[in-house]
Amino acid sequence: MAEAVIEVRGLTKHYPDVKAVDGIDFEVRAGEIFSLLGPNGAGKTTTVEILEGLRDPTGGEARVFGVDVRTGYAKIRDRVGVLPQDFQPFDRLKPREAVAYWAALFDRFLTKKEVADVLERVGLTSRADTQSMNLSGGEKRRLGIAMSLVGDPDLVFLDEPTTGLDPSARRDLWGLIRGLKAAGKTVVLTTHYLDEAEQLADHVAIMNKGRIVTRGIPEELISRHGGGTTIVLAGAGKEGAEALAARGVPATVENGNVLVHVATPGEVRGMLATVAVMDIPVTEIYTKRATLEDVFLKVVGARMAEGELAA
Amino acid sequence: MKRILADVRAFGVQFMRSRIGAFFAIAFPIILILLFGAIFSGGGTTKVPIYVQDLDNTAESHAFLVALNNTTVVDYRWMPPGVAILDYISSRSINTALQIPVGFEAAVNRSRAGDFNASVSVTLYGDPTQSSYGIAIAAVNGAATQFNFGVVGRPPVVRPATADITVRSLKFIDLFLPGVIGLTVLTTPLFGMTNVCAEYRTRKFFKFLATTRLSKGEWLASKIVWYSFLMLISTAIMFVVERLAFGGSAVITPMAILLILAGTFQFTSLGMILGLYVRDTETAAAVANAVGFPMMFLAGSFFPVDTMPPALQAIARVLPLTYVNEGLRATMVFGNESTAFLYLLITLGIGAILFIIPAKALSWKSK
Repeated sequence: MAEAVIEVRGLTKHYPDVKAVDGIDFEVRAGEIFSLLGPNGAGKTTTVEILEGLRDPTGGEARVFGVDVRTGYAKIRDRVGVLPQDFQPFDRLKPREAVAYWAALFDRFLTKKEVADVLERVGLTSRADTQSMNLSGGEKRRLGIAMSLVGDPDLVFLDEPTTGLDPSARRDLWGLIRGLKAAGKTVVLTTHYLDEAEQLADHVAIMNKGRIVTRGIPEELISRHGGGTTIVLAGAGKEGAEALAARGVPATVENGNVLVHVATPGEVRGMLATVAVMDIPVTEIYTKRATLEDVFLKVVGARMAEGELAA
Repeated sequence: MKRILADVRAFGVQFMRSRIGAFFAIAFPIILILLFGAIFSGGGTTKVPIYVQDLDNTAESHAFLVALNNTTVVDYRWMPPGVAILDYISSRSINTALQIPVGFEAAVNRSRAGDFNASVSVTLYGDPTQSSYGIAIAAVNGAATQFNFGVVGRPPVVRPATADITVRSLKFIDLFLPGVIGLTVLTTPLFGMTNVCAEYRTRKFFKFLATTRLSKGEWLASKIVWYSFLMLISTAIMFVVERLAFGGSAVITPMAILLILAGTFQFTSLGMILGLYVRDTETAAAVANAVGFPMMFLAGSFFPVDTMPPALQAIARVLPLTYVNEGLRATMVFGNESTAFLYLLITLGIGAILFIIPAKALSWKSK
């Protein structure tokens, strides 16, 4: 097992009116993508800002590379890259200038080629001489990631890097984040996009109201909380559900489709055989695997859309 | 040091690409110099126009007008004798008019003949709210005095004489230049830093910077370095424009440079303070204006503090810009280095106090 890059034990951050972080524990291993997942206000950003040395915790322990961030962050600053939440670049600096400037703030004075290499890595070569205010939302985030990489850090914090981006730009950034992992970086990714965490993360911790409500490998969480596989009988409607119920098969109706739940993939074949002999009118039959969205619904008790919990 | 220089360079590039910032630091002071220089420093007449209705139209009334002309501060124009003077003034929006009555020469002749009761009044019509009216009154009084001495056949006993108290041969623009430099030292760093601090805070740049090796003190220092550099460039340009356009002779002394640097330090720090406490950039602009505009007009940038009413003078004495303006004027115009040095110390003292506040209050960490 890889070494622990981040160790958090009983971490708390309390304000007079709210417990933003309320006694959380987790570890992040070297070379993995670890995702803190949760709605707005769950405590994700507060947690990573403590780990980035930007906030002091109320209690508990937070260590990065074995160093207590409260007292020794300066020792590990050069090994950490940060893309803050709602990152905005300096409007009138061009990406080429911004990268060179940011590197100089880490006492690294990059050559033109080194700057060009960083920009190429994040796919901004063609926009290197465009003032940042004229970049698209996705390009601005790429520039932010480029700036976070100028010190060649071992650990990169990406705080909601894709929030507000269109689906295409989000997927482009996913490729970039996977590239960081391929390059051996450890990535801490906070997000409220469940699909993003499921696509990218090796380990996930779901936060709500300052607490981690569950954590683990996405597949394990889905197996543990997601409830297996769902067979969808499209267009079967209420009659289909009643016919199944008459045969002792519990089913639910959702948007005119009948959903039949099976605990393990192995049960799918038998259930399909049962349905086939019932002559239920359907337009399509397909299976749907449980996702982190189902896990989230189970452990939090609500769905999440654009970072907000649905009633 | 390299981090500070990197920050200065990046900040300077952004500043100069912001056309508003570059305009107010470089172009605006030049416009002020050219504008006020053109108004006050020559070219065209500065005489007050007086319309004269000579109802007497005699040799003596003409002699009075010669005396009026000798004052050199008025330019008289004829008004027809047959018109109603008030209607004429009203229909042509005239500011000042003089009426010489019928019987002017007769009264003069009676006086010459020994009639001590002989007298005649010339009437000056004008708007007391206009500054030109005061000049016209003084000119007519002067002409009357000169004419009266002529009538009695005695030369004046007491004659006014003038002596230049400045150490150099100065023009109005030389007196104006230190005020414009002071004004620029106030506005560019104050307005700029208020906005920058508010923007950095609201856009979370401070938080982002906190993840680098750049310290809070280095960031503050880099802003002072940039604005000092900018103010020296701006001053040099203003100085060259004054010399080339108006042949001015004010001198940029080493003490003046120190005062410019101290003033920049002071107002950059004040801008930081304001920027740390305003809510957003829109509020920052309003607050900077609220603090900066009164100082522009009350601290002697455009006219000396000594000419203000006592209450305003008292206010001016607590405004930090007053000491920059007066110090610059002392060293650049009057060559009074000891006064300038005293004002330099005051400026540095205020600057140090203003710097300590943001240095303590600015926190890059979140709470």
